[in-house]
Amino acid sequence: MRIPILKLNNYLLISIQTEIDDNTAIQFQEDLLNKIHQNGSSGVVIDLTSVEIIDSFIAKVLGDVISMSDLMGAKVVLTGIQPAVALTLIDLGIHLQDVPTAMDLEQGLVKLYQELGE
Amino acid sequence: MDGKLKEIVLENSDVIVQKWLEEINSDKEKSNIKSIPDELFETTNREFVNVIFRSIKNNMEPASVENFAEKVINLGWPLSYITDGLQVFRRVMVNYIVNQPAEQRDIADFTEVMKSVDDWLDPIIRQLVDEYTGSWEQTVSMQKVALQELSAPIIPLVDNITAMPLVGTIDTERAKLIMENLLDGVINHNSQVVLIDITGVPIVDTMVAHHIIKAAEAVRLVGATCILVGIRPEIAQTIVNLGIDLSKFPTQSTMEKGFRRALELTDRKIVEFDRKDENVENLIHSIKGE
Repeated sequence: MRIPILKLNNYLLISIQTEIDDNTAIQFQEDLLNKIHQNGSSGVVIDLTSVEIIDSFIAKVLGDVISMSDLMGAKVVLTGIQPAVALTLIDLGIHLQDVPTAMDLEQGLVKLYQELGE
Repeated sequence: MDGKLKEIVLENSDVIVQKWLEEINSDKEKSNIKSIPDELFETTNREFVNVIFRSIKNNMEPASVENFAEKVINLGWPLSYITDGLQVFRRVMVNYIVNQPAEQRDIADFTEVMKSVDDWLDPIIRQLVDEYTGSWEQTVSMQKVALQELSAPIIPLVDNITAMPLVGTIDTERAKLIMENLLDGVINHNSQVVLIDITGVPIVDTMVAHHIIKAAEAVRLVGATCILVGIRPEIAQTIVNLGIDLSKFPTQSTMEKGFRRALELTDRKIVEFDRKDENVENLIHSIKGE
């Protein structure tokens, strides 16, 4: 199972619609970084609206992907984190301190514009 | 053996009741039910003793004990009335039996008497105490529900801005509830800014601060911003003295300032219309023009 990555101008949109297992997460990490490299994207929105559970490994991979994308010059915004997921993340001590978040895709894109100063 | 004793007691119930009433009445002065009118006290005592005797006679009669317990609970009398009453009753009864002429009671063993009396009275005590504690537990659980309903209300102020006023002490259980309500409220009202008002929280210690920080971080993950408002001087002092770091999210002293900040964050501001001044100025202009 691979997570589809959509291209919108110089942004990438990812909507995670399934429960993610460890392999999917790793695969996603590679796919996204390759896509950023291919397209020279400057912004990424990862939408987690349909994700109900996140374990510590997935959370770590997400955090890693975000830092890696940052290194490659693409700003990442997380959107649609569910209350239960937020609680789990906080309880796990994963604060995603420097990652911008937004409630839905629309606001996420607005945030991305702001972050990139466009 | 037991039957024989029971016979004695039942036959001489009048004497025992009389003695019991005397003792109870003398006890009344000492206990904290002095304020009860004598008449009511008298009738309740009668009913009490009737219930006891009926239970002894029929080997326990839960319904009548239950009715009596309900009545005393409704009157709001203390549990000690019932336990003291039964203690006195036990004493009176044992005294009476032991003081009977030996051939009549037909027993030598004092422990036998005690055991029989215990067997009659213990179930009554148990049931009455159960009824009492049951009613207390019910009250406590009802209050708990009421408290929960009051504990974490979320109020939409304007589009995208909501407030959560917190009143009273925050413990771990309540903090959890607050957190859940907060996050659900943020999602349901689609709010970008949440104001948490802690004016009514008497003490902010490390634990409370920890919960608030956790809540604020969770809110940020969900995609909204948290503003902590209502920080009183003494709370500011405690927070700094305890070394709690609240620098990561915005704080304001009052709800009003917080609200203005929230409007700023959502690219809005309060515009005041001052028509009166304008009118006066126009008037002055027009006079000058002439």
